[in-house]
Order: sequence, then structure tokens, then C-alpha cells
Amino acid sequence: MVDVSQHELVPEHTILEEEVLEEVLTEYDIDRTDLPKIKRTDPAIPDDAETGDVIKIVRNSRTTDQAVVYRLVVE
Amino acid sequence: MTEVTYDVDDDTIAVVEDTNLPRRLKDDVYAELEGREGATVEDADELAKAVETRYLGTRVDPLDPVGTVSAQSIGEPGTQLTMNTFHYAGVAEIDVTQGLPRLIELVDARKTPDTPMMTVHLEDEYATEREKAHEVVWNIEATKILALGDVSTNVADMRVQISLNRDTLEERMITSEEVAEIIEDNLGVKTVQKGTEIQFGPEEPSYRDLLQLVEELRDITFKGIEEVSRVVIRREEMSDDTEEFVLYTEGSAFGDVLEIEGVDASRTTCNNIHEIHRNLGIEAAREAIIEETNNTLAEQGLDDVNVRHLMLVADMMTNNGEIESIGRHGISGSKQSVLARAAFEVTVNHLLNAAIHGEIDELDGVTENVIVGKPIKLGTGDVDLRMGSTTSSGRQAE
Repeated sequence: MVDVSQHELVPEHTILEEEVLEEVLTEYDIDRTDLPKIKRTDPAIPDDAETGDVIKIVRNSRTTDQAVVYRLVVE
Repeated sequence: MTEVTYDVDDDTIAVVEDTNLPRRLKDDVYAELEGREGATVEDADELAKAVETRYLGTRVDPLDPVGTVSAQSIGEPGTQLTMNTFHYAGVAEIDVTQGLPRLIELVDARKTPDTPMMTVHLEDEYATEREKAHEVVWNIEATKILALGDVSTNVADMRVQISLNRDTLEERMITSEEVAEIIEDNLGVKTVQKGTEIQFGPEEPSYRDLLQLVEELRDITFKGIEEVSRVVIRREEMSDDTEEFVLYTEGSAFGDVLEIEGVDASRTTCNNIHEIHRNLGIEAAREAIIEETNNTLAEQGLDDVNVRHLMLVADMMTNNGEIESIGRHGISGSKQSVLARAAFEVTVNHLLNAAIHGEIDELDGVTENVIVGKPIKLGTGDVDLRMGSTTSSGRQAE
């Protein structure tokens, strides 16, 4: 299998810890289900990610240096 | 007050906490101040204020209709796109859909583009040596029987005769034995192979079956990837002044190509966003949508469209973890409001279905409010202004 994370189109995906997630949700004043979604079967997702986890994605942004976004893992 | 873990004095904290910055940026400001020896409260204030100004400047105004602005910003240059052009910048030999048809194809999220193609980058010596690069080409480009030799039919004996070209076989790294075996597997016939000559025929002598076999023989892919009909090899100058070989393919099979030895799996791309989604995930697909729409516009000299509009489109299309098209089957079709959906396309069907299911329209969106003639809840439409009086000192009167 090819290591997907090495591809230049794929930004860094990491699982967000529960406490940090709470802070993020309070900062934006949203629920976890309001986040954009990512499929459990997505090739770029870390292997140990479960449905309901939130993935932190650090993109190389076109408008700023780096952009941090979050996606909720769904079936 | 929030706990501040940085080593800064209380006045500084007061100054920074007073700004309208999100937690993360405040922390960044603290980190910066901590690192600077002898930063005074005034410095801290100046820094915090400067960051705040920049931060507020980057934000969208409240109740700003970003989607509408994006639609207009892409729509207007869209009128200047060519209705149909077929050529590709850089590689003249490969035809690629450009202009408006390409843009429509992207936002419609078609399963396969009109003209699928891949840009294959190579690694190490494969990228620098022509011989090595050609090896990769033969592993990608579909090789049919006619490229390997001559096919003739002997009607008298009811046999198909193939005479293979030895040089071509060697060049494409395939042996006569392999060719014979592939034919047996695909056509279910017994073959007789001697040197570069291969013979076979239908079980029962039948002229129709014989012709049928020849037809089927022509369709067999002996080497390479079936979807890729042609590969063009080009020597290109890289940004760091080195030269390397890059392959452009007609037809695409992204997943298969990434596995091939010599292919640089970190830079190779294709123009089918679904293939990118399947192999690299939703984030890569988002990136590809932005890149492709941006390139399509740039190709036509319309690169002054702000990339943020394209990013918004890509974000919407990838929001639920899958690629959704913009249109009746995708985003517009999943709108909550019946009236908004009906106003977009196939009006009657939407109204009929809504009536059957007893749907309720909450009149939250833009379109439905335009239809019923209410002010829309955007911009100044969502704020109430009240007349009030102020005292001469500018303070609000009780």
C-alpha cells in the first residue's frame, strides 16, 4: 500500500484529544455534530480513529500560513 | 478570568485579555511577549492591538452573504469562459477539456471527467534516465496486440496467426510465452506458440467464431493499465533548476499508478476528483477541487478570482465527508426549505412531494423570503434599528 500521508495533496491528520476538543467547541460555540465530516473509511485518516472522534487537520493554507480545521469521523 | 500559563506580568495579561481576540491568538501573543526580553506593558498593548486589527480585518462581516458573493464572483468571469476548447497547456499532444465545460464538470462532480488524464512524476533515477522513465511508461500504457506484432487470419485452416516483433517485445519487457498465456486466459482457447509465432483457432471450424476471436484479441490489454490509452513523456525543468521526466497520460487509473515502481506517489496527480477522493481522502479532494477550478480559470486569463471563493465552493462540496455536487442532486437539493428547492430546478416535483409529505417551510433562508416578499435575514435585513437620543456628551440617554 502507498503511504497516503506522504502525498503533497494530503495535509496532516491527527486525532484530537477530548479535552482539547472541548476547548475548540467552546471557542466556536458549536456542537461536535456541527463540524464538517470525514468518513471512517477515508484513506488519510489515522488507523486508530473511531467513529465519533474528531480529526484535527493542519492545512497549508493559500490565504494564511497554516489553517487548522476539524472534521468529525462518521460511518 | 482565564488562567494564563505564560510567564508575563498581570498588567500585560490585563491588556491582552482586553482585546477581542480568540483564545489561541491571545496565547500566541503571550508566547511572543514571553520570548522578548524586557517587553513593557506599552509594547504588549501595541502588539495586542496590532494583532487585533489584523484579526478583525480578516474576518467576514457578520451577516455577510458569503455564498452569494462567491457565486457572483465566479459567475461573472464564467461568462467570459470559452464554451469549448480542447487543448492542454504544456503538452500539445494531449487533449483536455478546458473552459466552461470543465468548470461545469467540476462543480457537478461528474463521476468521470470528459477527458481523464494523469500527471505522473517519477522518483530517483526513473526521473533522470530516459531508459528508466520508458520502463515506467510501458508499465502504464496499455499495450494491445497490434502494438506487438501482426495479426492475420488463415481462413483455410480456421486459424488466427500472430507474428510478434522481437524488438518490440524486448522493449516492452514481455515474452512470447507471456503473450500466449494471456491469450489463453482471456479467450479460453489453446494456443500453439513457437518463437515469436502464435497460432490459435476456434474449437469448431466456424468463420464467425474466427472473426469474433480476432475482435476480442484486439481488446486484450497485454501490459500496462487498461484505462490508459496513451502516455506522453516530457523532459521538464523543475523549480530548483534540475530537469526530470514527467509523464502525461490519456485516461486515468490513479490508484493503480501509485503502486507502480518508479512512480513518485507523493506528487503524482490526476484530474478526476473522485479518484483522488478514493485514494487520498476527502481533504486531498478538497485541495484538488480548488486547484482544478483555479487552474481552469487561470488558463483563460481569469485568475483574478479570489481563491477564497473557490475554497468556499470546495468546502461546501466536501462538507459531509464525500464529494457532493452543486445542483439539484447535491447541495441545492438538500436544502431545508421547499420553496428554495422549488425555485432552483424542477419546481413542480418539489412542490408536489412537499405537499404529499406535509413539509413545513420555516422561511429561514434567502430564496423563500424573496418568494413570499419578506425581508431576507442577511446584512441589514437581520438587524433592528431603533431610534434613540444621545446627550451632548455622547453618552446614551436613559
